[in-house]
Amino acid sequence: MAGKKGTPIFSSREDANFREALKLFDSKQYKKALKLVEANLKKNSSHSESIALKGCCYYHTGNQDEAEAYILKAVQKSPENYLVDHLAGIYYRSVENYEEAAKWLKQSNDNGSPNKPILRDLSFMQTQIRDYKNLKDSRQQYLENQPGFRANWTGVAVALHLNKEYSNAVSTLVKIEGIIKDYLTEADRYEQSECVLYKNSIIAESGDISKALETLESDKDEIRDGLSFLEYKAKYLLMLGKNQEASVEYRKLLQRNPDNVGYYNLLEVSLGSISKPIDTRIKLYNRLSKFYPKSDPPKFLPLTFVPGSHESFKDLAKAYILPQLRRGVPATFVNVKPLYKNHKKLKAIESIVLEFFENDIKQLDPTVFVWTKYFLAQHYLYLNDLKSASTHIDDAINHSPTLVELYIIKAKILKHQKEYIKASEIMNEGRELDLQDRFINTKATKYYFRANKVDEAIECISLFTKIEDGSVNGNKDLHLMQANWALVETAEAYTRLYHEYQSKLSELKESEESNEEVEKELGENIELYRGLALKRYNWIIKIFKTYYNDQYDFHSYCMRRGTPRDYIETLKWEDKIHTTPIYIRVLKGLSNIYFELYNEQLLAKAEEEDDSSATKKQKNKKQKKVKAQANKKRSELIAKVEAEKDDTDPLGQKVVSDLLDSDIIESLFVLIKPLIDEGKDLRLTWEVLFKIYLIQGKYVLALQAIKNLNRILSRNEPIKLASIGTRVIELSDTLAKDNNVNVAIAKVVEKGINSAFPEFEQLSKSEFLQIYSK
Amino acid sequence: MGITIRQATINDIQAMQNANLQNLPENYLLKYYMYHILSWPQASFVATTYDTIDIEDDEEHEVDNYVDSENGDNKFEDKVQEVEDPKGDPAYIAKGEKIIGYVLGKMEDDPEAADKTPHGHITSLSVMRTYRRMGLAEKLMRQSLYAMTESFKAEYVSLNVRKSNRAAIHLYRDSLNFEVTSIEKSYYQDGEDAYAMKLMLDLDALLPSKAQKGEVDDFTCDLLA
Repeated sequence: MAGKKGTPIFSSREDANFREALKLFDSKQYKKALKLVEANLKKNSSHSESIALKGCCYYHTGNQDEAEAYILKAVQKSPENYLVDHLAGIYYRSVENYEEAAKWLKQSNDNGSPNKPILRDLSFMQTQIRDYKNLKDSRQQYLENQPGFRANWTGVAVALHLNKEYSNAVSTLVKIEGIIKDYLTEADRYEQSECVLYKNSIIAESGDISKALETLESDKDEIRDGLSFLEYKAKYLLMLGKNQEASVEYRKLLQRNPDNVGYYNLLEVSLGSISKPIDTRIKLYNRLSKFYPKSDPPKFLPLTFVPGSHESFKDLAKAYILPQLRRGVPATFVNVKPLYKNHKKLKAIESIVLEFFENDIKQLDPTVFVWTKYFLAQHYLYLNDLKSASTHIDDAINHSPTLVELYIIKAKILKHQKEYIKASEIMNEGRELDLQDRFINTKATKYYFRANKVDEAIECISLFTKIEDGSVNGNKDLHLMQANWALVETAEAYTRLYHEYQSKLSELKESEESNEEVEKELGENIELYRGLALKRYNWIIKIFKTYYNDQYDFHSYCMRRGTPRDYIETLKWEDKIHTTPIYIRVLKGLSNIYFELYNEQLLAKAEEEDDSSATKKQKNKKQKKVKAQANKKRSELIAKVEAEKDDTDPLGQKVVSDLLDSDIIESLFVLIKPLIDEGKDLRLTWEVLFKIYLIQGKYVLALQAIKNLNRILSRNEPIKLASIGTRVIELSDTLAKDNNVNVAIAKVVEKGINSAFPEFEQLSKSEFLQIYSK
Repeated sequence: MGITIRQATINDIQAMQNANLQNLPENYLLKYYMYHILSWPQASFVATTYDTIDIEDDEEHEVDNYVDSENGDNKFEDKVQEVEDPKGDPAYIAKGEKIIGYVLGKMEDDPEAADKTPHGHITSLSVMRTYRRMGLAEKLMRQSLYAMTESFKAEYVSLNVRKSNRAAIHLYRDSLNFEVTSIEKSYYQDGEDAYAMKLMLDLDALLPSKAQKGEVDDFTCDLLA
């Protein structure tokens, strides 16, 4: 082998030492490994393998910042040395740079590394970066090396499936089924069941439903997951038009789970009852509720399809609502709320409950009075009749002052009256009635946040968090445990606070009596809360990075465990994780702050050009102030708001200054970018991108963003919305004012506007806006 | 809001984590939920609302454009209602679909465990306070127990419950027939003791609809007759 291209030659003393160091590294004795490597480099400073290993050791011994330089040096020196390549791959994997890790692991394999597990690691990286094309090769090569494990066959099938090579995926699974058939032990049976079902789902996905059904039946004895078996079978029968047979399977499914609304809907599809007379359907559900008297769907579903004007509606609604009120089901109102979209149903339900209250309540247990009042309060809150809502909830509270649920609604009513502080006080009263219950604690915490009482909120939630030794509250635990709801509420409260200080400051500046002392304090508060808001938002961004990286271990685990079906779902789920509603909420908050900072920066620049020396002086002064602030109060503050132990930037000052030193708009683009693929149908995506492109002078893309926004907002109907019209004008005006724009591009954009919005060319701006005014 | 109970999927786990954080003091990282779904996909269930059904609109009446917002700006609007992005409430997994309860189940997988008979364990169960008294916790449990018996051949299931949690003890002992096997001193972070409870599992007896004691569907009668 000696002399072959890229093959390291173990001949020198350095090589022997290096091998020793590598062993130490593999057994996680990083310090010892580093010592050996450094000794090696003293003798031969150009020993590439040792340089690379030094980088890897540095990463694990607290020299993270310097580690990469060694890796880069080593790969530059000996790019064809498979050991160096491998070490580079290992380094980049530890810093979670999977692109680079995949590149170097592949290089190592291509350069002749005899280490086959590289292929397995490579396949994890390739999945992580969704390089499915190359994934197929590495999974296949690894299987050839290790064909004795079912996991490796599953891995190949998954790779083929991800490349939509359905028949190859199926034949891989069939092949290993055949090989392993006679050797299965009880311990293998679960994996067998899952893999057989996986195969079946691929056959169905490929479109051959008859084959899927046939295979499902012939594999029946291998399948332990009876739910999947029935669900697959019922679905296939329905797709094949064998409705009668399908209906039997849905009946079996209902017997397993009579609370799954999907089965009722599909049973109706298979029975063809949806087009039958209403009375037939009512009878069907009546029948079903005899089978499943304690299930909600057979009682609730008729209320959705029976018209409010139908003679039975009121009786059916009564039979649904009144027993719940009698039993004191807190969700009675919420349960019927979707029916309120239909005005007649709303009125019918209102009269049912009012009549019940008038006629029956006196004979019944007093708690029924309370729950009925509780219902009515929510009913009037829905109608935005806050006065009636308050009266009903107060009656209920006067009657049963220790019932926690009542305080939730009372607080909600106050919140709708924008009485945020009062609302938080009421919610807290409710909380004090049941200190053991975290749900009410959560509500109270949330209402404190909404009232901008962040300290009270954190103090409240801390009753249920872990509190580390020496911590003053549970804030760090919220960060550690990924309590996104609380973090986003904190960020939004901080944002509202700094906006409040901002408007106070500008009021003060506009008034005659300027007061330097007060202005200074306001300025400090703005800085403080803005930093904290950014810090909290960024932490959620970080949590979502963790959520994404969490999948990494499962690229290997699920193959061994034998859960490829849910593994595939997991990959799909990760592929759209940035559209999680709470993440969108974070991006919305963040982009507002980014744009604000950008505008301030523009303003500051303009001022600087006006009088550079004066502003500089001011800046110096400002920095001194910050230093002077470092007192006891400050350390108390830090103790309260620290996100983690020994937080190096507890107040988010570094976050802000880093942002100000960067290209803010480009940084925002990096955050929004995943949504171009994942969030095509979100308005936030295009609203923010429009602003970004406009600032960046990317007018073609800005126009594209308007068109995408229009598609979403108008639901593809020709509605002419004001939010579109104003953006068209904004684009056109910005373009006209831009002296640096390429003439050809300006033409393209103008033409594009005119063809997408023909009225723009024909009309004046104000006439245009009159049309686009919906 | 109609309520439905179904098997949990990976798409539910963020909202499950959220429900857990809002209801219970014992919390877990998201990866632990992933681990459950990807190890024992059959064993966990969720209760969700659904609001996606078309409500029969039986008259000319204009459906009111009602904006239900957490931010207090409920109002009726004459304007065309703008398309809004999904609410940023972490309980929601889709429009109108909100997780209001979950059971997170697993099989015992500790290689050190003394008892080698396959058996299940309930990691966590909770239902939002405002959705209680509808039997959701019991229904979730029955689904999980049936599935772990069927798919994993669990012979029994175990769980721990706070000594002070009367409602949960009532559910396990009285409704589901669990037995207390021991008391685990200072089991919880805050020092509270736990009851260790156990239930022997029998697939046929566990068929969830049996608990409703309704008429039994023979699958042959004509439902539309």
